[in-house]
Amino acid sequence: MATLTSSTRAIEPPREKRGTFSKSFNWTYFLQDNITGSRGLTIWVALLTVITLAVTVSQLGSAPRRAGIIVAVWAIAVVATILGELFTLHNPITRWLKENMFNSVSNTLITLLLALVVGQVMTQLWNWGYVNATFDPALTAPDVRSSGASWGVIWGARKLLLTGPLEPEYTWRVILTLVLLLALWAFTYIATRRAIKASVPVFSKIMNGLWLLAPIASYIFLAGLQKELPAATKTIDFGLFWIRFNPVVAIAGLTINMFTLVAGLLIVLATMAVLWFFRVIQLNPTAIVMWVLAWPVAYVLWRVIAQTGWFPSIDVDHWGGLLLTMIFAFFVNIISFPIGILLALGRRADVYGIPSWIVWPVAILSTGYLLMTSTPELWETSRNGIEKTLALWPVLIIISAYFFMRSFNGNVVKAFSILSIEIIRGVPLITLLFMAIIMAPFFTSEGVELDKFWAVIVGFSIFSSAYMAELVRGGLQAIPKGQYEASDSLGLNTLQKYRFIILPQALRILIPPLAGAVIGTFKSSSLVALVGLLDLVGVVRGIIANPDWLGLRSELYAFMFVLYFVVSSVVSAYSRRLEERVGLGSR
Amino acid sequence: MAQTLASAPPPMNKGFFSRISSYIFDIRFLGVIVQIAFIAIVILGVRTLGGNFAQNAGKLGRAQFICRDGSFSYRCAYDFMDGNAGFDISDPPLEYKTTDSFWWALWNGIINTFRVGILALIATTILGTLAGIARLSDNWLLSKVALVYVEITRNTPVLVQLLLLYFSVVLALPDIREAIQPFGLPIFLSNRGLSIPWPEFMSSAPIWLAFLILGILQFQLTWFFMGRREQETGKPSNRFRWALAGFLVIAAVGWIISSATADNEGILVARSSRIGEFEDIKSVIMTRGGVNHVSEFAHKSDEELEQAALKICVLRDSPSEPNLTNKLRRLGLPYEVNRASSMSRAISSFAEGNCDVLAAPKSALNSALAMLESPASNLIVSVKEAPLTWTVPSFEGFNVVGGWSMTGEFFALFLGLTIFYGGGLAEVVRAGILSVSKGQTEAARALGLLEGQRLQLIVLPQALKVIIPPLISTYLSLMKDTSLGVAVAFPEMYLISQTLMNQSGRALQIMIIIMLVYLVISIFFSVVLNWYNQRVVLVER
Repeated sequence: MATLTSSTRAIEPPREKRGTFSKSFNWTYFLQDNITGSRGLTIWVALLTVITLAVTVSQLGSAPRRAGIIVAVWAIAVVATILGELFTLHNPITRWLKENMFNSVSNTLITLLLALVVGQVMTQLWNWGYVNATFDPALTAPDVRSSGASWGVIWGARKLLLTGPLEPEYTWRVILTLVLLLALWAFTYIATRRAIKASVPVFSKIMNGLWLLAPIASYIFLAGLQKELPAATKTIDFGLFWIRFNPVVAIAGLTINMFTLVAGLLIVLATMAVLWFFRVIQLNPTAIVMWVLAWPVAYVLWRVIAQTGWFPSIDVDHWGGLLLTMIFAFFVNIISFPIGILLALGRRADVYGIPSWIVWPVAILSTGYLLMTSTPELWETSRNGIEKTLALWPVLIIISAYFFMRSFNGNVVKAFSILSIEIIRGVPLITLLFMAIIMAPFFTSEGVELDKFWAVIVGFSIFSSAYMAELVRGGLQAIPKGQYEASDSLGLNTLQKYRFIILPQALRILIPPLAGAVIGTFKSSSLVALVGLLDLVGVVRGIIANPDWLGLRSELYAFMFVLYFVVSSVVSAYSRRLEERVGLGSR
Repeated sequence: MAQTLASAPPPMNKGFFSRISSYIFDIRFLGVIVQIAFIAIVILGVRTLGGNFAQNAGKLGRAQFICRDGSFSYRCAYDFMDGNAGFDISDPPLEYKTTDSFWWALWNGIINTFRVGILALIATTILGTLAGIARLSDNWLLSKVALVYVEITRNTPVLVQLLLLYFSVVLALPDIREAIQPFGLPIFLSNRGLSIPWPEFMSSAPIWLAFLILGILQFQLTWFFMGRREQETGKPSNRFRWALAGFLVIAAVGWIISSATADNEGILVARSSRIGEFEDIKSVIMTRGGVNHVSEFAHKSDEELEQAALKICVLRDSPSEPNLTNKLRRLGLPYEVNRASSMSRAISSFAEGNCDVLAAPKSALNSALAMLESPASNLIVSVKEAPLTWTVPSFEGFNVVGGWSMTGEFFALFLGLTIFYGGGLAEVVRAGILSVSKGQTEAARALGLLEGQRLQLIVLPQALKVIIPPLISTYLSLMKDTSLGVAVAFPEMYLISQTLMNQSGRALQIMIIIMLVYLVISIFFSVVLNWYNQRVVLVER
């Protein structure tokens, strides 16, 4: 780079003497470059001139002082630039102006036009938001308001904006969670410093463990524990054990009892066994013993904390405001990221599909059987042509078998992943959320009351997982083919390949898109207000309807707008820093 | 590749167990077993949920499946859709009454979704392209303004933008009586929405459109054959200009023919009014106003003008009105329009003598003539029509009439979606333009291509390859986000479905229809995207 700039500098024309009329200026060339070069350019400049003139005249009429100042400053700058150009009198300012504002006739006009428009918008905003505004919470009642903004409403309604309808006596628990997360973050920051990482390597391991525990701790703080086991989990039908086990119930009544204890331990051990079998992890007796012990210990701790009564349970539907928005942003991403990875891997799975000699006989036989058993009955009772056609539904089995074999080659995992991703991405989030709320009572077993919050979390996570899967797929595709081929040629099996070669690289590439996804979830969590949850937007709608603050829409919406903007910008700035540190850039 | 490695023949010198196990652990066998187990789990899961559903549906929602004869059957799930909707739609795109069926109400919503979606789609494309180019502009101010725009739209939720736009901008616009008219153009912007001039298709438009299709065909043929001759002879011929000229000639001929042959529009007049032909109107009005030349109307007072004006009865929003009034305006004659909400009202108003003429299509006039008490004392006079006629909004009383008007809700949703997705698209366009390496531009210049040729042949094809896939996903997201109309009470598909649910109490059935419609939209865009990707597939290595 350095050599390039120095060489371009070397071929600059020799400087003319300051203050003399530039000999290199040529009117013909100037006109050709700026106006008459092509017909399109001429029309463009003419149009721009007309628009700029019209805006200037109308603004000079409506706000003579402001428009006058802008036009005068613009004119002075233009004259200074022209003088600098023609008489070789450039100083750093005019040179900058020439290069960035007035480098052609159309740019000169655009500068004026934009300055006028931006000036008008900014002045109006400034007048509304500061000059005519009041900041006192006492001045927000409808009869004492000023013509500008009444910012006092934000301080006045701060409790609602932050935590919504949450009982005030629990506010300290929200603060505790915040302190916990901030402290963890600060310690991690220290732990990942190079010097500390080298001297006290255990530190960062402890931090990793604490981060894994952080969601559980936050849950205890924010949702609390019931002294009694919730009724919902008691009614689960243990007779049909794993078929009747309903994941929604397990999450909804998220409690550790004997059932989740045994099931969880079995799942962990089975996963470890599979990973060991495929030589992804080594057989580590200490780890197994720790896992086996971890669950009873966690269970005892869980019950002990519950019995102390320090954290009585809070109705999750009382969470609201910024708290709820944040919970959504964290919770949904934590759930949807692993599911997204699984869906993405499923979409790329190239396992040997179910062979056609199994699919076709099964499809044909079942179609035939159903055509003979189900169709006649439906056909006889049908009332119109549509129902007659619907009576032939078993034919759909053959058709879907055909598409299944043609598009997916019998690969069930791929078919399931692609279909679920595409269907979920094909409908708006708001319909999924609504569906989750109205469908939840239908799909849960008897006696289970699902909070609206959990229904929405499920719907939102399903939606987010599909998008996450597409992100992860992008990351997987960005890994050069050579990496896959090299790990194959090393004789690694699929699990080893993904665990040791592909995923570590893909996740590093994925940092910016993942940050984008977190921001996306944070932003789209505003939609839960439309299905009746009291997140930031929902709370604001409530505040507007409050008689004391009736109709203070613009202030609250503007505040919300700025809040979302600041948080999103901070997260994306942080992700850029993170990317610099561990991302591809540093390698 | 992993499969071929793993499924290599087992070593022969092992014992029986290891030979069996090598078959069992064959990746293909395992794969099939795992997939069958997967299907089994999925089926069991669906059965569990389905069992719960059947149990709960029978208990909670048995009433949802009651047929018209009172019996219970799942096949009657959609019977209720034939019943009376019983609610009003604030901005129906089609004729809609509260006594219409649920299907018709939903259909109105679907049309509204497409109306706002497609309009926003076009506007987004324009705005996004402009903002993307502005981001790369060498004007510092312009690129910074574009940057601020992009950052703001990308870092805030579209819902909040929409709420801010609707409640703080659109509803804060002046009242309709003080509507904003930018630079005195016939565009009215107020808190009730936006009215703009709009071309109205007359009944002769199909003939003209047929000519236009013919013209396009001609354009293609000329382009193709002249291109072939260019290649054969090596002589450049300006095939674009020839093709365009041919198209314009055919369009003009079509316009003349369709306006000359069309005889669908007419006015109903009383024989006593001495209007026998359209041209008679001029003399009648001039006599009534007491002038010898139309230019003298300019000096008359408002009352005198009102006295002289031709009073026209017409059905509201009928294209017959601009067709007639545009002609009268061109002749310089004063007129006054009396708009009725239905044709029968217009006819009775004419029969009561409130107006001189009744303007409508001839078929409607014939039936109107039959409805009058004394058909013989009236006659139908032909009015010439062009295939298209402009309707221009104007003030009348306390309202803006004519033109094409968007309601405030429509305007807010349209603007909100356009602004939000325009910001996203700006980044796409910018990335696309930046993706074409500078070497390409320099190489094109070195080959001596003109700037236009460079853009058309070198830069755009490469940039479009990068731009179009994310562009199509943007379109898809935009179409889905029209559902946010519910936040500003614009009656699109989702809002209507909510109302339907409240009216009928059948949430599931309606949600299924709604999701299917959205799925069809998304499948359409996916098919387009796949088709494009296959056409311009980027081959790795």
